[in-house]
Amino acid sequence: MDASYLDLLMAQQEEVAEAEGGGGGIWVVADLVDGGVAPVTLEAIGAARNLADSLGAYVYGVLLGDGVADLALALYQAGADGVRVADHPALASFAAETYLAVLADLFAAEQPEAVLFGATDMGQQLAARLAQRMGGGLIEHTVALSLDEATRALQASFPVYGGEYFEIAACPQARPQFLTVEPGAFAAPFIDPYRQGSPTMLDVTPLEPAVRRVGEADGFAPPPVPLNRARLIVAAGRQAGDFALVERLAAALGGQVAGDRGARDAGWIESGQVVDLRSATVAPDVYLAVGIRGDTFHNAAIEQARFILAIHPDPQAPIFEVADLGLEADPQQVLPLLLQALE
Amino acid sequence: MRVIVVLGHVLDPRGIAVNRRAGRVFINRREYILQPADRCALEAALRIKDEMPAEVVVLPRSPLPDDDVLRQALATGADRAVYLAGDGLAAADDAAMARLLAAAVERLGGADLILTGATTLDTGQGQLGLRLAEALGWPHVADAWALKTSDDRLEVVRQEGAGYAVLEAALPVMVTVAPGALEPRYPDGARLINIYRGQGEVAAALETWDAADLVDADALQPLLERRGQEFPPERERGVRASGGLEEMARSAADALRRQVRV
Ligand SMILES: Cc1cc2nc3c(=O)[nH]c(=O)nc-3n(C[C@H](O)[C@H](O)[C@H](O)COP(=O)(O)OP(=O)(O)OC[C@H]3O[C@@H](n4cnc5c(N)ncnc54)[C@H](O)[C@@H]3O)c2cc1C
Ligand SMILES: Nc1ncnc2c1ncn2[C@@H]1O[C@H](COP(=O)(O)O)[C@@H](O)[C@H]1O
Repeated sequence: MDASYLDLLMAQQEEVAEAEGGGGGIWVVADLVDGGVAPVTLEAIGAARNLADSLGAYVYGVLLGDGVADLALALYQAGADGVRVADHPALASFAAETYLAVLADLFAAEQPEAVLFGATDMGQQLAARLAQRMGGGLIEHTVALSLDEATRALQASFPVYGGEYFEIAACPQARPQFLTVEPGAFAAPFIDPYRQGSPTMLDVTPLEPAVRRVGEADGFAPPPVPLNRARLIVAAGRQAGDFALVERLAAALGGQVAGDRGARDAGWIESGQVVDLRSATVAPDVYLAVGIRGDTFHNAAIEQARFILAIHPDPQAPIFEVADLGLEADPQQVLPLLLQALE
Repeated sequence: MRVIVVLGHVLDPRGIAVNRRAGRVFINRREYILQPADRCALEAALRIKDEMPAEVVVLPRSPLPDDDVLRQALATGADRAVYLAGDGLAAADDAAMARLLAAAVERLGGADLILTGATTLDTGQGQLGLRLAEALGWPHVADAWALKTSDDRLEVVRQEGAGYAVLEAALPVMVTVAPGALEPRYPDGARLINIYRGQGEVAAALETWDAADLVDADALQPLLERRGQEFPPERERGVRASGGLEEMARSAADALRRQVRV
């Protein structure tokens, strides 16, 4: 069948019968980026949709901002049954007290069963304060969700020690159940371009906040992160070839530069940057070994790294035995390509 | 100026082994360290005390097996610490601790500033400080990287996206401090010895309060129920990227993106 004909057939727009509030439902408070709805919000709506279908509940989206009413469509298309919009100049950028006042009023009236936020700067702040205000439980940085049907409780997994393992928890008694969901942890939902609805506008009463943003912190530089606490390390060894490429890769990834004893002997790094059981052990999320052969002392010092990527021309190099991914290649040749691929 | 620091302990990750195959966490050395972000919060308080007359009071963020972290804080320069004990306290979650701590703050006669870590090293949860602000009805600033106080105002530098912004708050205010924000100082050896020997002023600065005198038993009921642990699949080491240089570079870039979400 002709695709455009199919489009014609389906082009009867599906108006979502705006779900009435007044009890229950899974609510998702939207994060905005670059004037649009953040991916994490759509992911949260997708997760909420799955749970809501098992619970027989509605999914609602909440938008706060200035001139954001048009974004409601994105929430409907991701699966929301209803959308509430607080549109006011006072909400133009995130201000905890102002946003809290709007949401506290809304949720006091609607009595949600569960409220989801993105585990973002904004979501983390709002979820904790609303949970305490409404007597609800909160599980942050959720990466997986399941339903305990006996209590209608949402069971959530969250990472411990940065993802070494996961705890599963639930707040079965208290309502609402608050959750923040980790960006990227849940699949993006199916976007139904034919869904639409008419959002309900909320009243906004501006208040005089006790905390005000003064401006940019010009010239503020955070303290250097010691190697043993660095989250991403790009380390060079004798076979790195071009150390400038290693530095560029570290900058591109927002990581710290380090190396093995060979790199220090080559004069590329200081003694304080040497990764070796006798100097410093590290436990980053990602360790990139560029041209490091990987002797026993070096490899033992990186044992706690969560993900190790090794690049070395010698297929027999011991670093490959501990690496999660190994590239048998000359760093000088592969690094420019890797930098390109990361752009 | 009175600054309250809420701090807690965490199992030193260097003493534990997560065995994915066995699906268990092995505690090889039961050693606790101060929560790294709470250590930064303490440092922020002590820097205020370096600058102006201030009293630094320390409270626990969670039920503690003993008062070691409070003693450490006193040895590092805090003036006073309160250990909270009592029946029904052991199960308290962040919601319950926030209520209990709010009552403790009231009993201390209030404060100008409360500082705590923005997140915990183990569970990664950041709700305690914000819940406490809510329980007290105070405003908050989350994830501070630097603080500057005057008599009735506070300037806070916090991360916003890729940059940093300055926020201004009227006191009192609750501030959570980012892990790694400040290079923390170490406890003073002589003070530490005095505290453990029960000698001198510093030893007298540690008191114990009964939770039952602060809140009723209902307030300590936890909302959070632990339901188990999950372990990621075992790491498969020694995997080699295939193909030519370009293909290898692409697999590496994909793997890095998955790991760091660049
Ligand atoms: C499996 C694993 C997972 C990890 N995950 C993370 C993560 O997700 N995020 C993260 O940021 N980090 C992580 N790390 C790194 C870890 O946080 C740090 O190694 C740990 O916090 C120790 O910090 P530190 O180096 O400041 O400790 P140290 O500075 O060694 O301090 C440890 C304790 O000893 C005391 N102490 C140390 N030296 C002295 C001294 N000279 N005098 C008096 N007292 C002293 C301190 O007061 C402190 O309480 C992880 C590590 C491992 C092994
Ligand atoms: N301290 C430990 N650290 C890491 N793994 C361990 C530890 N003790 C035992 N194991 C492993 O855990 C699994 C189950 O051990 P067990 O329960 O003691 O029989 C086995 O594979 C052991 O090798």
